Order: sequence, then C-alpha cells, then structure tokens
Amino acid sequence: MPEIISPPLSEDARTDPVTARVHDARAGLAALIAEAEAARRQRSESTPEDGGSAVCAWNHFENIPTFYNWNNRPR
Amino acid sequence: MTMVWTGMRGISAVPSYVVMQPTTLCNLDCSYCYLPFRSTDHRMPVEVAAAVAESAEAYARAGRFSVVWHGGEPLAAGRDHLAALFAPFGPGIEHHVQTNATLIDDAWCEFFAEHDVRVSVSVDGPAERNGERLTRAGRPAYDRIIRGVGVLRRHGIPFSALCVVGDPRPGVADDLYAYFLDLGCEVLGINVEELEGVNTRTNGHAAAEVTAFWSELVAAWRRDPRIHLREVEWSLRYVAAVLDDTADELLPRSLDPIPTVAHDGSVVLLSPELAGFHDPRYGDFASGNVLSTPLAEILAGAAETPWIAEFVRGVEACRATCPYFGFCGGAHAANRYFEHGRFDVTETDHCRNSKIRLLEGVLDHARDHQPTAV
Repeated sequence: MPEIISPPLSEDARTDPVTARVHDARAGLAALIAEAEAARRQRSESTPEDGGSAVCAWNHFENIPTFYNWNNRPR
Repeated sequence: MTMVWTGMRGISAVPSYVVMQPTTLCNLDCSYCYLPFRSTDHRMPVEVAAAVAESAEAYARAGRFSVVWHGGEPLAAGRDHLAALFAPFGPGIEHHVQTNATLIDDAWCEFFAEHDVRVSVSVDGPAERNGERLTRAGRPAYDRIIRGVGVLRRHGIPFSALCVVGDPRPGVADDLYAYFLDLGCEVLGINVEELEGVNTRTNGHAAAEVTAFWSELVAAWRRDPRIHLREVEWSLRYVAAVLDDTADELLPRSLDPIPTVAHDGSVVLLSPELAGFHDPRYGDFASGNVLSTPLAEILAGAAETPWIAEFVRGVEACRATCPYFGFCGGAHAANRYFEHGRFDVTETDHCRNSKIRLLEGVLDHARDHQPTAV
C-alpha cells in the first residue's frame, strides 16, 4: 500500500482513502479548480461542454501524444 | 475499502497515435537517455511509413489520430527523408515531433508550417539544469537548444516543452516554472527522471521532498497559469471528477496500445522505451513487423505477446491493491520491467514520484490554501 497511510484519513470509512482525502480537501480544491477553468479560458482552451468552439478544444491537449497518454507516453 | 474502477480493462485494438522512429541517431548524448542505439544512424525506409499509413487511414476516419516522430532525434533524419516518410500519410493525420531543438533553423520552421507539425521541445530548464544534455563531443548542449527555440519563436510557431527533473525537491519547482514562463512554451510536461533502458541511475527520492516539489509547482503555476501544465491539469481533472462523483468515467475503458514502430518496422506496444531491448524471458518485446503484418492485425493479436499478457495481469493487480488506481490507471510497462524485471508487479518508483506524490502534492496545496471565511 502506498503512502496514503501517512496522511490523516477521512471519517468516512466507506470511501477509499484517496477519494476520502480529495473530499477532505474539497474547499481548497474547489477554488483551485475554478481558477484552472478561468485559466483555460484565458488560454483559449475550453471544456467539452463549451461545444469545442474555442480556438483549442480542451481535448486538443489530451491528444498531444508526447504528453497525454496517461497510461504511458514517450519521454 | 478500495473502489472498484472499471476503466483500463485489456488493450484497445485501436490506437490514438503511433510513435515512429525515423532514425535511431541522436546528435546529442544526454546522460540520462534510455535509448540504446542513439549513436548510429539506422534510418526508417519509406516502405515502413507506407505500411503504417495504410492502417492509420482507418484510425483517422474513426477519430483524431496522430503520428509522433520520436527518435533518436527525429530531425537528424533530415528534411528530405522526413518529408518522404510523411508522404504516405493522408491530410487527416496529425504529425508531431519530439525534438531537442538543436537542429531547428529557418528551413525546419518552414517545414513545420508546411506540414502543420506540432512541435514539442525537450529542455530541462535553465543552463545549469541542463548539465546532463551534452553534444557528441561532450560539451553542454544548452546554447544550441535555446538557439533552436529562438528560431521557433521568431517564426511564431507554438511549442510544448518536456522537462526532465532529476532532483524533485522544494526550491526547484519555483525556478523551473518561472523559466518556462519566460521560454514561451504553451504546454509543459514534467518528467521526473526514470530508471529505464540504458539509464540505470536510481530514481528513489524521499517522499516528502517529491510531494513538496509538486506542491510548490502547483503554487507557482497558480500565481501565473499561462502555461497548460500537464500534471496540474491531470490532477485537477481527477479531483474534480471525484468531487462530482464521476471519477470512474475518467480512465479510458481500455489501455491505448501505443504502437511504437522502430526504424526497421518492428512494433513494440505500450512502452516505446522497450524498443531495441532483449530479455531471455521476453525476447525482443516486439509484437510483429509492419513490413510483414498490417498494424491493425498486430494490434488485434496484442494479447498473444507473452509479456503483454503478463502486463495486463499487472494492471489488474494495481486495480486490486492500489488506492491511486483511479488517478493512475496502472504502473507503466517500461517502469515495471526496468525497475522490477517483470510486468505483473505493481508499484514503481515512477508511480511514487510522478503519480502518487503528484496527487499528494496537489492535495497538500489545496489543504494549505483553503478559502478563508469572511
């Protein structure tokens, strides 16, 4: 088991520990997620919900193969 | 209790891209490089590209499909040869290069524009952080890298950057991010150095140091998020999905086969880093050769390659044991092999440095930057 044993775990024992950690940091993450979305708009990226009308659709970056295959990628 | 993730079941028969090796040669000799034949110029014949292009047309009709010209140094193949290798591919296929930038000049920029090539540059930060990047004569390559980046910028060609970090620790991330803001890249990926191929240097680091590196990188990015920072984007996409209770939809349903086509047409799946290696137990890791078997047929039979069957068992072991699986999707094949000597193991140093501690760093940052009630 990786180092998730070290951080304090959520009281919600029904949830896996990583998911619980994410929920425990919800307030800080929500602010960060909102800022990231604003930054994407500044960079003319968009989310799929925007209909891909922006200059670069969000998934444009998903398909930079040297970057975005998360199960592996060329270095 | 660990959640049961439903993605990453088996190997997809349809890739989203193919990695092509136009030459084994690299004009640099970086000390951390994993490539075994980078001092020799084995060039890919056009027949290999033509064979790949036949299958690629069907992939491009089904969705977005890319060819990544990797290496060696792909530009070391020369413009004329690279153009000949591009030629069999139809207009619906995207071309990408991962380059050390040292050969980029006006003529290359015109080539990139003519062929609509997406350019990604390998640079590890300012000069003092590129000490591992050496010319064949053993001299620092940084000035040549930056000269090439300057030509790209002068031509207005957008570019991504890939940065290898050998010492992920607090104090490094701030400087690195500031450097890349100044460099002008649109997208940045951070690769913590890996034990792979002929690079046998250990990549074990203190957990707290690596986590603090990522946390510092998030903070630096947040102050000026002009760059699309791969690791931050991926982490936030995951945590947002967790908070929305849609995290299980995030991983692909099956693993991308990531075919790497070597200069001679041989195909290695899943991990380009395995191409060119041989193991008494696994052979040469190849699943076929496009000169004798269509790529689509090679992919359809992927599971028959013994090491791939073992790797799929390893992915299932990750799913069953690791609470980070929903974020990660399973340890990468090359890291399993080069760190543990087999594919059905689970956690690697690469997992720790680049997945687990990344997510932990993002969570630490969020925990330490909670909005304050007014």
